Amino acid sequence: MEWLGKLFKNDGYRLSAPAAGKAVSVTAVKDETFSTEILGKGIAIVPESNRIVAPCDAVVDLMFDTGHAVSLKANFGAEVLIHVGLDTVNLKGKHFTVHTKTGDVVKEGQLLIEFDRAAIAAEGYDTVTPMVICNSDEFKTITPHIGTVVAEGEPVMTLKK
Amino acid sequence: MKQFTHLLTDPVGLHARPAGQLAKLAAGFACNIRLATPENEADAKRILAVMKLAAKQNTPLTITCEGIDEEMAAAAISEFLAANL
Repeated sequence: MEWLGKLFKNDGYRLSAPAAGKAVSVTAVKDETFSTEILGKGIAIVPESNRIVAPCDAVVDLMFDTGHAVSLKANFGAEVLIHVGLDTVNLKGKHFTVHTKTGDVVKEGQLLIEFDRAAIAAEGYDTVTPMVICNSDEFKTITPHIGTVVAEGEPVMTLKK
Repeated sequence: MKQFTHLLTDPVGLHARPAGQLAKLAAGFACNIRLATPENEADAKRILAVMKLAAKQNTPLTITCEGIDEEMAAAAISEFLAANL
């Protein structure tokens, strides 16, 4: 479908903030799986709320049964993984409430997960939330917009094919 | 074709980090690499596909490598699984 992209010149696809908070570089996350971009390029949010929302219109590719992570297949083709906190797989679902399930069609801004940020932090976990593009190779450029405090829905990443 | 089975011993199973590391390792080989649980199958080179297996502790994971460097790939993956999962 390369010719389609050439025919309809676009200025890229946007992902909005999956959580309110400070947008930081994914390379600064204290987990080398994310910081070395093994899972893909992206961004991280230091959350200041307890909600994770869809960053774009998408299908829920996998809602982890522990609720600590969700992967989405964006309508424009990106495979987006949102991972709430680091090593939070070990909480086995504690402090997480899921609001969608695998296979659901979601709209940008739709609530996906609620989490108890204070309780997770109190158990010693870093609540920084990376959002990475697992099929980064399929995009020419992926530009994170970092350094500011964002509200849910504000653009934090631009992708170009 | 090289095929072997590994029983997952990690208490949280094949979660995001090992899935990413495994996919990255697999992507370094030319051969076709498939992972299979008793329920599902995935291309080992696709991170999300590997994660989507949602393979838990005590799941037998069958790895099939097929192609020019299958011996090397099977050895590397076997070593990775033994060390990490």
